[in-house]
Amino acid sequence: MSAYILPILFILLFIYCIYKRLNTYDHFVKGAKGAIKLVVDIFPFIASIMIAVALLRVSGITSWLTQLLSPIFNALGVPPELTELVLLRPFTGSGSYALLEDVLVTYGADSYISRCACVIMGCSETIFYVATVYFSQTKVKKLLYAIPVALLCSIVGTILACLLCRVI
Amino acid sequence: MMLASMLVLLIVNPSAMLSEMIGASTEALELCIELCAVYVVWLGFIELIDASGLSNKLAKLLRPLIKKIFKVDNSETERLIALNISANMLGVGNAATPMGIRAMQALDDKTGKANFAMIMLVVINATSIQLLPTTVIGLRASAGSENPADIILPTLIVTVTTTIIGILLVHGIEKLRKKIKGKKKE
Repeated sequence: MSAYILPILFILLFIYCIYKRLNTYDHFVKGAKGAIKLVVDIFPFIASIMIAVALLRVSGITSWLTQLLSPIFNALGVPPELTELVLLRPFTGSGSYALLEDVLVTYGADSYISRCACVIMGCSETIFYVATVYFSQTKVKKLLYAIPVALLCSIVGTILACLLCRVI
Repeated sequence: MMLASMLVLLIVNPSAMLSEMIGASTEALELCIELCAVYVVWLGFIELIDASGLSNKLAKLLRPLIKKIFKVDNSETERLIALNISANMLGVGNAATPMGIRAMQALDDKTGKANFAMIMLVVINATSIQLLPTTVIGLRASAGSENPADIILPTLIVTVTTTIIGILLVHGIEKLRKKIKGKKKE
């Protein structure tokens, strides 16, 4: 079902543009032109955050944090097997998806742990990445309470996800 | 954070530091090349949506909601936020990012501090409001799940709850800050 949504939307868009007598090709090219500049602008920010994450992982700080936080997460109803996933999720999209695949293979796709992991992944975002990229092209130096609020929501979401997976 | 991990690495494995950093930036470069290809497609489509006037219609549709949540009064900004949120709901975060960046630039008041609407946009994007977690369902299906889509309902409930909590929190904090500022002036 979901595989049809985007293609159908694309086709409808083109039909609508032709109906409006727009030169679709010219407009598409004009929009596409912005892609390279955008990527060049955000590249240094993406690279910096990825370097920071790599250092965190290879230095062993994440696994140390995982051990430290597991009991706390467990008390909140989050399976300790998922601590690393929850910790890495705000930093890296590709890294956390790789962890999700590990979890799915290790515990079986229909196990409680895997379902929790899937819901956690589906309802959270790479907060630090999003904040870095979104603020990167502005003059903002002080993010104020943006990250704490986002993280808090994410934690609430994680706890709620594990709770719901027990019931549904 | 970076300094702490560097210090630990100095003790644990000093030879790995430089190679890890370069490895990570190589990964970032690869990601950016991939993103560039994705953005070409999405920015092309978005230009069509803009030129055909569909984005204005979408913005009009979402305007009451956006006005209430973001407290902005500028049709250009409303349009960008509307596109960003719609792309997020469809689960195409890669199409949402360019619109989000443009919206942030439009919201920037050059004071060096994040303002209310900017924080709101980041929080809403960070709580993820997608209606269909397609990537997760795909991964689950390929791992041999019997019913890969049965996580849709819990995901939806959680995602809606956290987004509402995020919006309420940002509004609440903003009110508190105004109160404190008001008291200082007195």
